[in-house]
Amino acid sequence: MILDLHAHSKKSEDSRATVVGYLQWLLKKKDVLPIDGLVLTEHRQFDADSDYRHLEDEYGIRIFKGSEVETDYGHVLVYGVNDAMLERFDFSNVRLNAQELITDVEELGGIAVPCHPGRPTVGLCEHYRNKPPLEGVRAVELLNGGSRKGENERVEELVKKYRYGAIGGSDSHLVSFIGICATEFPREVSDEEDLVRALREGGFRALDFRDRLKGP
Amino acid sequence: MNDTLPLGIDATLIGTEFDSSTSKPVTAADIQEYAASLGETYAGYFGPDPVAPPTFCMKFRGNRFSHPSIPAEAFRRGFDAGKDIHFGVPIRPGDTIHTSNVLHEVYEKTGRSGSMVFVVSRQLMTNQRGEMVATIDNRFMLRPEGDK
Repeated sequence: MILDLHAHSKKSEDSRATVVGYLQWLLKKKDVLPIDGLVLTEHRQFDADSDYRHLEDEYGIRIFKGSEVETDYGHVLVYGVNDAMLERFDFSNVRLNAQELITDVEELGGIAVPCHPGRPTVGLCEHYRNKPPLEGVRAVELLNGGSRKGENERVEELVKKYRYGAIGGSDSHLVSFIGICATEFPREVSDEEDLVRALREGGFRALDFRDRLKGP
Repeated sequence: MNDTLPLGIDATLIGTEFDSSTSKPVTAADIQEYAASLGETYAGYFGPDPVAPPTFCMKFRGNRFSHPSIPAEAFRRGFDAGKDIHFGVPIRPGDTIHTSNVLHEVYEKTGRSGSMVFVVSRQLMTNQRGEMVATIDNRFMLRPEGDK
């Protein structure tokens, strides 16, 4: 199963993409973007209210929800968000303690994955130059669709050095960017809790579809 | 919600009005001139009883851009970060447009270039019948003091 693990809808203040727009685009591009589902990781919040089940049924694409939060080690994707996590952490705080987040999210039934680690200021690589490595990191986002030249390449060294699992996500804020990077799992993923299990099990790999979209 | 927002702004100020104004009646000539300046060719903008192009509402700015509690020097460390416009009923000749400006949102985020504070001023525009003409969220990005 292939999931885009990092996408933003218009629920994030810097995105204008609608979920329907994403699904229509993926349907239109299914020959080059074999995406089975996406995770909406809205900035500094968890969108508990939106119900996309009717869209899943209509388009045959799974829609899961997570969050992208900001910490003292850069931005982090949180999967398996639940009430206990929302009570424990103020997701709108841009200075969350990354170590507490990773440890506590794990204990509370989720998984926290540092994203775009190669990015200046908001990436893990830069923070690791000056601070000790975080404990309990299972995976990082190796392929981020919004990265600039050289940023994803820096992450390869990080993944090798610390033996992190590697995920991919588009970090899409616009409809036409959805699915350009994604993660392939060796099995089906049924819901957000199962996504956490799949990420803990390992065996997934990051995929980059950007070359396919360029055409011949 | 915290009592204090980024830039030291009192959270209770969110939603408060900091400016309001009411325009003179819009004339057909105002609309025609505006449409011509945009290079529009749609006949409905130029007849004797024209309807205004949607962005005509941008003419009604009010007297202040942002809440007076936000120090002016903060704006020297930032830039206009765009706007979202939700259009309502069209503007026609004879309409008077009431504009109310409120401090809508203040939030912080981090990006490649460091920390950023976004101040969103909302302009609520209504006509003389109380109908919503437009709601404009003006977003301004400010660098916190001490950041490059």
